[in-house]
Amino acid sequence: MSELPLHGIRVLDLSWIIAGPTATRFLASMGAEVIKVGSARRPDPSTRGPAFQAYNQSKLYASLNISTPEGLALVKQLIAVSDVVIENFAAGVIERLGLGYDVVRVARPDIIMLASSGTGHSGPHKDHVAYGSLLQHYTGWNSISGYPEREPVTGGLWADPWVGMELAMVTAAALNHRAVTGQGQYVDFSMAEALSASIPEAILDYQMNGRVKEPLGNRDDWYAPHGVYHCAGADRWVAIAVTSDAEWVSLCQLMQRPDLAADSLYGGAAGRRDHQDHLDAVITEWTMQHEDHVAMQLLQQAGVPSGPSQDILRVFNEPQLREAGYFTELHTNGGGLRDLPGLPWRLDGGPEPYLTEAPVLGQHNAYVYQEMLGLPALEVDRMIVDQIIY
Amino acid sequence: MPDGLLPGVRVLDVGQGISGPYCAKILAQMGAEVIKVEPPEGDSARRMGPFPGDSPHPEKSGLFLATNANKQGITLDLSSSDGAAAFRKLAAGADIVIENPPPDALEGHGLGYESLKNTNPGLVFTSITPFGNRGPYKDFKATDLVLYHMSGHAHGMLGAVKDPDSDPPIRAGGHQAELVGGMAAATATLMALYRKRMTGQGSRIDISSFEAMVTQLISGLANSAYGRPAPPRDLAKVEEAAIGGMVGAIGGILLCNDGYVAISPREDAQWERWLQVMGGPPWATDERYATRDARQRNSPSLWKLLSDWSINHSKHEIARMGQEQRVPCFPVNTVQDLLSDEHLAHRGFFVEMEHPVAGVLRYPGAAYRFSNSQLPLTERPAPMLGEHNREILDSLA
Repeated sequence: MSELPLHGIRVLDLSWIIAGPTATRFLASMGAEVIKVGSARRPDPSTRGPAFQAYNQSKLYASLNISTPEGLALVKQLIAVSDVVIENFAAGVIERLGLGYDVVRVARPDIIMLASSGTGHSGPHKDHVAYGSLLQHYTGWNSISGYPEREPVTGGLWADPWVGMELAMVTAAALNHRAVTGQGQYVDFSMAEALSASIPEAILDYQMNGRVKEPLGNRDDWYAPHGVYHCAGADRWVAIAVTSDAEWVSLCQLMQRPDLAADSLYGGAAGRRDHQDHLDAVITEWTMQHEDHVAMQLLQQAGVPSGPSQDILRVFNEPQLREAGYFTELHTNGGGLRDLPGLPWRLDGGPEPYLTEAPVLGQHNAYVYQEMLGLPALEVDRMIVDQIIY
Repeated sequence: MPDGLLPGVRVLDVGQGISGPYCAKILAQMGAEVIKVEPPEGDSARRMGPFPGDSPHPEKSGLFLATNANKQGITLDLSSSDGAAAFRKLAAGADIVIENPPPDALEGHGLGYESLKNTNPGLVFTSITPFGNRGPYKDFKATDLVLYHMSGHAHGMLGAVKDPDSDPPIRAGGHQAELVGGMAAATATLMALYRKRMTGQGSRIDISSFEAMVTQLISGLANSAYGRPAPPRDLAKVEEAAIGGMVGAIGGILLCNDGYVAISPREDAQWERWLQVMGGPPWATDERYATRDARQRNSPSLWKLLSDWSINHSKHEIARMGQEQRVPCFPVNTVQDLLSDEHLAHRGFFVEMEHPVAGVLRYPGAAYRFSNSQLPLTERPAPMLGEHNREILDSLA
């Protein structure tokens, strides 16, 4: 039986809320031993509710009040036996806690330290108070998203999960580098820059054409028809993207509209784009006759890219995810048996990801302090009483 | 020359479009030596905009240029025996091969993982498709639009829905689902590369871009697992903010005299400071707005009061005044604002490269800086079609 890729790596997870815990969930599921450290003094806000069960799968959870001198000394001992440490406090907080990179690397010279904040750890706005939902506006990400000529969309849970995956990716890159050079790293990560880096089309369009990109709704600059069409039933929709002339002809055949396929007006993407209001109305006449999943099946059989626009509950019940083995049924702490999410990749013929239920605060104190650090049980008990292991 | 974190790692990027090439772009900016292998007619992304003057040109696609910087490029006809033989030689010395079929699956040319690993057992072979190689949709076609909607993200984009029966759920701009598929691929690939370093074992990695998008919403999936209903997508009907949602007292956008500002003074202390930013308005002590719960209940009338004030100020002015008072708020920026943003300029976020045909352009850089490694972000602009054929293919002969 082969080991998971990150077998033998230990990650000290000082992060909280969404982005950092998402990163360490990926690392833990791929074989790293992730020790989440938190304190009842200032609980992780995401501890509330089901979300915690997803964000913290596969981890160990130790309690530690690092704002006390003894707690700070203990966390340094943990750093000394870890390969990676990750934090996502506002810029400057970890230094004020006495755990800046200059301190951390004394405890462990080849440590890989990931520090993620809203706008990064340098520059005139590094101390700006940020939430992911606000950064989606600051970074231009929302400026190209939404209904044309209406006020900008708000929300969409995007920044934190994106950054979570990117932090896991960066960690894997740094581990490869360390494997060859023996060197650790301090990684200054900016959530804002992660989002701005994901809209290069609009940034280059502005430079090439002096054009400030506006939201296009569900339409595309080039492909047409390209939209989301009402199906039978309330709030049921199917997304259809015609990306070639051949797909257009197939769509016309499916809708039993050979007249449209034969019309030279619609023979190319540019012509279809010029008449997309009309074509959208024609397509809606057809989609309204079908349930959304039926429409997808018919369209896919005809070779047209398509799929239903679903809310999260329908995604949860999606046959594709169920049959592809995406969910794992897990006994949760206090929540009974639940189908919890997995990973978006498979190592074909390789080991299965390590997926367990999320821990509760302090669940692994004995392992972390007695087995790992070798502290006497009495000493651990004293620190519990003194609200250091707390 | 900065050598990044992956010096000496050799990558063959056989992908077209966005997801595969974006995965390879990440590895290139981390310092791997990436050879982009294009069919003789070129990567399909060369035909995707933006183009200068909206006039398509295979060397001027903004999307292609951004997604393929810092790679070398060759053309190979993999359906010919010469092309397949050359690819086989390159793959024998590669650490990583990345593909995103269709249209061009390596398997179909006898160049799939099973074949390549015979000569290169440590190879990491990464395949990205819309739904992966499993499940009932494994042969389905999907685009960015389709994946964004199927995965639940469009229902979470809270917009100004006027008529739920005629306003469909809405996608994000750009090609977010393709990028997430590519980033998931880079993440798994780098982990598998690490395993290869430790154990010598190769891997075949299968990526579903759909699952990658779904995995961005694991909190929502967990809510579903606990029997919670899906939140409504009409902003006006949302009573309780899901994580990340800017509704009610959590936050929102205000119209300014030059655009919008996004604010989120959600905690009581933040709210108190926000009132100071507004100069202590007379309604500040009104009990309808005294607590977070009260503000939540009365948010329509509250946002009206805030908007009456904000319309007299600019978005940057409000953002500056708010941040001075430690209130979470930011201007709703356009890409034009970004390119002149002093903070991004100070951090050197945008990088400039000169391309022989497309000219000098500023590209978004990386979201990360490493203390011990410089990233080769401006090593070379995206390759012209077949630019390195002679250099690379001659060395194989």
